[in-house]
Amino acid sequence: MKRLDSTLLKVFGYGLPGVIVFAVFSYFYRSGFFEAASGRLGLLNALSGLVLALWMTLSLYLSVKLIVSGTFRDQVIARLTFIRERDEREAILTGKAARTTFLTSLALLIFLFCLSCFHVSIYQVPPEMAVDGKTGTVSLGLAFDILGNHRKEAMAGARDIFSYSGLPVSSTVVILFLIVWQIISYNYSMWRLTRS
Amino acid sequence: MSKSTPQLMIVNRLHVFRAEHRLTQEQLAKEIGVTRATIVAIEKGNYNPSLELAFRIARFFSADINTIFSIGEDEK
Repeated sequence: MKRLDSTLLKVFGYGLPGVIVFAVFSYFYRSGFFEAASGRLGLLNALSGLVLALWMTLSLYLSVKLIVSGTFRDQVIARLTFIRERDEREAILTGKAARTTFLTSLALLIFLFCLSCFHVSIYQVPPEMAVDGKTGTVSLGLAFDILGNHRKEAMAGARDIFSYSGLPVSSTVVILFLIVWQIISYNYSMWRLTRS
Repeated sequence: MSKSTPQLMIVNRLHVFRAEHRLTQEQLAKEIGVTRATIVAIEKGNYNPSLELAFRIARFFSADINTIFSIGEDEK
């Protein structure tokens, strides 16, 4: 790892608590918590904005570096995910655990893809719109939105009983879940392989 | 999936050689450049070392590789 990258990584890691403190301060400042906002506090708020901007730039640089640099990736991600390849046996076990993680992650992604595509709605229509006297309606649909424009078309006047249109969580949560899943899945597989 | 071929059962006398040389698992591991867990796994028969590691072990004990590693009797 280059000395510059190593330093930037330390700044990123050690700077995180500071960024959180600045973000909390900035939140309270903007919400008018400090009644007698002096010039110093305003200056501090401006400084916190600058720090956040620098930290965001740094995190973008480091994340791109992780993608393009194999050496950097090996050193940083391997440490974060507790990958240990001290000898040939551990290298083989790592390969097996990585294979298990890859396959389970793929299975999970397929499951999430299905959940994000399926739309289910159960609603009750007014008596004048009933078909053969039946007012309960089940609507099933498949959706594949590239741009994420979820459209919910409910029948006019219908009473919605149950509606499901894609995953009810944000993409950030899904991405975070997948990252955590990968780390846990790998370490669990490794633990099982080491025990056997 | 390919047709499965009968697997050879490889047995080893590593623990005998180690005892003869009065070495702990940790010491042997350090000498041949692996972890102690790998020595444990080899001795328990849970892991078959690569050809390179097998030769490294044999060379360390100044022994023929066949005297340390051999094919199990019932599988011949």
